[in-house]
Amino acid sequence: MAKAVETQNLEAVKSIRRVPQEEYYLPGHRTCQGCGPALTYKLVSKAAGPDSIFLGPTGCMYVANTSYLCSPWAYPWMHTQITNAGAVASGIEAAYQVLIRKGKYKGKLPNIVVMGGDGGSIDIGLQAMSGLMYRGHDVLFIMYDNESYANTGIQTSPATPYGANTTFTPPGEAIPEGKVLFPKDAPQLVIGGHPAVHYVATASVAYPVDLINKVRKALNYKGPSFLHIHSPCPKGWMFDAAKTVEVAKLAIETGMWVNYEWEKGEYTYQHTPKEYKPVKEYMKTQQRFAHLTDAHIAKMQAFIDARLKAPGIPVALPVLGPREE
Amino acid sequence: MSKKYCEKFKIPKHLEVPMGAVIPAPVKENRNMITGNWRTERPVIDHEACTLCLNCFLFCPDACWHLDEKEERMVWNADFCKGCLICVNECPADCLTPVNELEFKGGVVRLEKPF
Amino acid sequence: MAKEMFLAGCSAAAHGAKLSRVEVISSYPIRPYTGIMMELSKLVANGELDAEFVHGEGEHAQVSIAYGASAAGARAYTGSSGVGVTYAMECYSPAAGGRLPCQMAIADRALDPPGDFGSEHTDVMSARDQGWIMGWAETPQEVLDNTIMYFRIGEDPGVMLPQFCCQDGYFVSHIPGKVVYPEQSQVDEYLPPFKNPHPLDPTKPVSHGPQIYPDQGPAIDLQRAQAFIDVPKVIRKAVKEYNEIFGRDYSPFLDEYRTDDADFVFFLQGGHARTARYAVNHLRDKGVKAGMVKLRFLRPFPTEEIAETLSKFKAVGTVETSTSYGGAMKGGNLIHEVRAALYDVPKPPAVTSFMAGLGGEVVTLDEFYNMAKVLAQAAKTGKVDQYVYWVNFDKGV
Repeated sequence: MAKAVETQNLEAVKSIRRVPQEEYYLPGHRTCQGCGPALTYKLVSKAAGPDSIFLGPTGCMYVANTSYLCSPWAYPWMHTQITNAGAVASGIEAAYQVLIRKGKYKGKLPNIVVMGGDGGSIDIGLQAMSGLMYRGHDVLFIMYDNESYANTGIQTSPATPYGANTTFTPPGEAIPEGKVLFPKDAPQLVIGGHPAVHYVATASVAYPVDLINKVRKALNYKGPSFLHIHSPCPKGWMFDAAKTVEVAKLAIETGMWVNYEWEKGEYTYQHTPKEYKPVKEYMKTQQRFAHLTDAHIAKMQAFIDARLKAPGIPVALPVLGPREE
Repeated sequence: MSKKYCEKFKIPKHLEVPMGAVIPAPVKENRNMITGNWRTERPVIDHEACTLCLNCFLFCPDACWHLDEKEERMVWNADFCKGCLICVNECPADCLTPVNELEFKGGVVRLEKPF
Repeated sequence: MAKEMFLAGCSAAAHGAKLSRVEVISSYPIRPYTGIMMELSKLVANGELDAEFVHGEGEHAQVSIAYGASAAGARAYTGSSGVGVTYAMECYSPAAGGRLPCQMAIADRALDPPGDFGSEHTDVMSARDQGWIMGWAETPQEVLDNTIMYFRIGEDPGVMLPQFCCQDGYFVSHIPGKVVYPEQSQVDEYLPPFKNPHPLDPTKPVSHGPQIYPDQGPAIDLQRAQAFIDVPKVIRKAVKEYNEIFGRDYSPFLDEYRTDDADFVFFLQGGHARTARYAVNHLRDKGVKAGMVKLRFLRPFPTEEIAETLSKFKAVGTVETSTSYGGAMKGGNLIHEVRAALYDVPKPPAVTSFMAGLGGEVVTLDEFYNMAKVLAQAAKTGKVDQYVYWVNFDKGV
């Protein structure tokens, strides 16, 4: 059936001064001091604006935001299970398509945004996310990546980096490095197998204007899009709450995080440093890596070096096995 | 004839939840979750030194810094600032200073001053 | 004038949904309910039904899509069978607790292991306590009628609950029967467009499903329990008006067959009632005072009606078609609820249960006769020797 539903067109923000002063993710939520995901939420909300519907699969950004029968969102918001955000979003988008077509909803298609954590996006939520991406619903799926199941007390997720000390990967004599696996590559999962997707990007809380513009670009694309946003977690990664943005910036300077856009098959990169600092500079800012030996750090450096050297595609590497030395 | 299951239930006002737990969205602030009393230190701004770079506004996870465009100065939200001090860390003009809450009259909501 | 058609249960459900003007449909294939979606996909492809047809990536997604659509204000329809029903289990409570009406057609199928695609009610019986309205149809006609009635009941502003609209796999879903096909105008008169009072609408922003104070938890549970105490009123009205507009003869909760002066009755739900009717006819011809009571709604369970109706008889045999391993009666589920409903009755009938119709096995006339022998004895003595009889494996059956 032909879809002739009118969609929104959001303008790019040209400078910091043009970033809207209006807030839609309002003060008054129980997220930790210096919370990276909360900062992500604030910036994404600014970008999307009030004509939006946000979905919150279970995770920090559900639990810490909605305590005690109150919520901080000025736009309509709905909780979903950690498993099914992609599917609930599909249902809402399908509903709007038919309601607008039948004249039951006057107005343009709202921006429908999922704010999923790493677990709700590429672990337990992967199936529903992939289903959404495959079917081509006009939805933006955002994975705010704090690299762990943080709400439940910092357990490892597929986004947790090699060597991290989490409450499910504690370092010990038998397993000295803590987490032994390298992370899943979220954007490549989406890019690799979903022909309806035309826009995928990574962003970081260290570069808010870039983040805002990527959200707007993604929303302007008809059909599904995916953003992977680096959102440091002071509690889980064990660093001072004031350092959230500093840590995020350091991730980019060391190559631990790469900001890029993928538009209809073409990659462009942002914020690439002239020279990468050693990953150790990044890792030493966080207690979760404090137990690692030089050999472990060298293994991380090798992984990152190989990833950065991979031609054309930011991440396309065989992941090292758990016990490979 | 069988008995009734029970009388119509009575739920006290303070435990009432709207059908489906659907609640109205807040407009400017979520006053039901005041977080200003988490703070141990607060960022104090030197308006003279401030260059209005807007870093504090951009990087605050709790949306507690805004630009007052008329007055051309930054405004801070004491009711909600959790005192993470990202703004202090990211201020390129060094115009923000962390000051202990105990220094302020009407500061620290949580504790009585011990002396 | 309404036309007559020959439809199997699956097609009847699809046409019930079409007549209800469903707006979002979510599908995933599993036998035997698949036929419903095959029919609906044709109706959408032909342009006969203006709806979004979403291919879910599993039953979990199907239900999520349906309640998401309901939250946005659209009438949503989905369905499943067997392990598909249990795979979606997580999503039932959010839909009901969020008070998001949508309808899920169930064509029952036995659960694994082993691979068995015959009918058995255990699949959706497992979800009976998730807060959905549910009940079974006996014929394709009843499937179509229930589909329309359930939307009306579930979307009532005082109810706002999702519904399992159930039929036995194969016995009902795949055997065609005569269906009096309602006029669209009649359905439009009976079923107003769905209106979610708090849709996810940017012009009137709300938050759905925030966390609550722990002591508000019991209060929410109480509200949901209260809803089920209020539903019967709505059901009575909805069934009465349906009968008036469409010229049917449904009783709201209990369909009694030849129960006048009956000594004992079979108590069951769903398609096996058809066989039971033949068994009752035959037994009556032989002078045996047998009857049948068919349950039309399992949730809400019509406790008072059951107490009143079943206490007229000397013996009751529940024909289970579902399992409750290790349960109080070591057999099925119906007997638990029936016995509980009869507990305060001054002179309760003797109640036993029959494990029959499991794994897609047909409950044959023979089997009903054997059950009748047990029940006739119980009616005579006023007591039962066993709480559960595994039909074909137990003495006397």
